[in-house]
Amino acid sequence: MFLALKEIKHEKLRYGLIIGMVLLISYLVYILSGLAFGLAQQNTQGVESWGAQRIVLDKDANTSLQQSLLTKSQTDKLTLSKSESYVGQSSVVAKGSKARNISAQFIGLDTKQYIAQDMKLTSGHQVNGANQVVVDSQFQQDGYKLGDTLKFNSKSQAYTIVGFTENAKLNIAPIIYGNLSTWRTLKNLPNSFTASGIVSKNAKYTTGITQLKSYDVHTFIQALPGYSAQNTTFTLMIGFLMVISIVVIAVFLYILTIQKLPNYAVLRAQGVPAKTLVQNTISQALLLVSGGLVLAIALTALTASVLPMGVPIGFNLPLLAVITVGIILTGILGAIIPVRLILKVDPVSVIG
Amino acid sequence: MSVIELTNVNKSFGVDTSKIDVLQNINFSAQKGEVSLIVGPSGSGKSTFLTIAGGLQTPSSGQVVVESETMSQLSPKARDALRLRKIGFILQAYNLVPYLTVAEQFQFVDRIKTQHNLSASDLNALLQDLDIANLVKKYPSELSGGQMQRVAIARALYPDPEIILADEPTAALDSERVAVVGQLFQDLARQRDKALVVVIHDMRLEKYADHIYEILDGRMKQAS
Ligand SMILES: Nc1ncnc2c1ncn2[C@@H]1O[C@H](COP(=O)(O)OP(=O)(O)OP(=O)(O)O)[C@@H](O)[C@H]1O
Ligand SMILES: [Mg+2]
Repeated sequence: MFLALKEIKHEKLRYGLIIGMVLLISYLVYILSGLAFGLAQQNTQGVESWGAQRIVLDKDANTSLQQSLLTKSQTDKLTLSKSESYVGQSSVVAKGSKARNISAQFIGLDTKQYIAQDMKLTSGHQVNGANQVVVDSQFQQDGYKLGDTLKFNSKSQAYTIVGFTENAKLNIAPIIYGNLSTWRTLKNLPNSFTASGIVSKNAKYTTGITQLKSYDVHTFIQALPGYSAQNTTFTLMIGFLMVISIVVIAVFLYILTIQKLPNYAVLRAQGVPAKTLVQNTISQALLLVSGGLVLAIALTALTASVLPMGVPIGFNLPLLAVITVGIILTGILGAIIPVRLILKVDPVSVIG
Repeated sequence: MSVIELTNVNKSFGVDTSKIDVLQNINFSAQKGEVSLIVGPSGSGKSTFLTIAGGLQTPSSGQVVVESETMSQLSPKARDALRLRKIGFILQAYNLVPYLTVAEQFQFVDRIKTQHNLSASDLNALLQDLDIANLVKKYPSELSGGQMQRVAIARALYPDPEIILADEPTAALDSERVAVVGQLFQDLARQRDKALVVVIHDMRLEKYADHIYEILDGRMKQAS
């Protein structure tokens, strides 16, 4: 540690550049994974806010809420408990006085069931009458206020915004919550259909009806349109980035160590144990990498706080921890590869 | 009693036609309390001799005994430890750690060899003798060649080794400083019972030596 610190202190520029490089690389990885995670969240936030464990859909709907329909004759056989809720989904284009048209997901709910009952609003009240909707806070950012109205698709009926809620996103689109009869209207369905599916907080929930299939929420999320493709792409991107970063950082630390070898040869001649020199090299690599990481984390936090609301960025602590540990291990690896050279360094090589 | 003893030592590099014999049948011993001077021209094998005597290189044949330990029988680790405890190397290319100040060069020794180094006052006296006490805050790159050489001498003496092996310790010094270093070596031998082995290409340390050997084309003979 003594040599490591003194050397960094004396060679400020050189070590500053290396810390800077670690900083930039880890900043890149942090921001990219933050963006990827933020986007992934926008697929699933809504479903997660419902606390859903199982989703019941028509078994021929290809695990898609959008494609599924439950008929009244099916649902008449069921009595839902406090942990279940009917959900009717329809993609809509919302038009209003403000801003551009917004592509949104309409979710029809039974106001007496748990999703509507438990919904946390940031302002306003629950849907308690006809032609009312509660909408995601993105509408607020677009300039909508309580009492403003929205029209859907080509329909002429206006719906009043009575409440705002946060983190209501499905398929990267903001959710508009209304009731199930509005959903039927939007879908042009008769009363003989009840909903698209049933959401349950109970991990063991099934209906017993053969035409209906109960999926666990993980399967449901993976089947969201585009979700797994998107995640695979980002995972690969971040994976490649990590591997290349590892190589780059390792190469730098390797070069750094090579440059020290003549010096180490002298110290070996003077009887300094190889162990001391190896420890010195590794602790120095750790110092450099953790210095770069701390700065990268600070810079990432700063970036996240100044990014406009429209850019989804999300941080998942386990993911960040894995990345951080990965980069630290990289540093150690980069320092360990040339250890063999340190152990082999020939003191005689420096003696004229 | 000899603290270093080389018996029938040969050293050659390369094989077959490209083989060169750098040291041939060297017999040498150094005692405590004496300064041994080994004089020879460039390329005669002086540095090779010194590194073999200090256990940095192994001879092609023959035996090296340091402080009753047969070098070839020690593990590399044990050889390191012996070097750290008993031998002070003053190397031909001064070999200070470039990113440590003069004072820190000594602090670093304290970290790897925690006991039996010179006391602060002894170190200070040594630095005064060598006229480098005012340089302690400087980095090697800020020193002249002669100053670096004197710091390197102090660095080698600081762990208070029993045996001091010096490779051209006065090459960069003027005759006034040569006298100081020569006197310092003689005092270390006479007063502190150290064994000094000094290889050098000129006769400037002649009058401080107890024994003088000549080395020529890898063969050594006693001159006086
Ligand atoms: N590792 C090696 N491989 C091949 N030849 C070597 C090696 N080390 C030394 N030699 C050769 O051995 C001879 C003696 O080298 P050495 O360094 O001992 O000379 P020296 O007396 O110290 O010279 P100088 O006064 O110039 O320092 C030289 O001819 C040198 O080329
Ligand atoms: Mg030499």
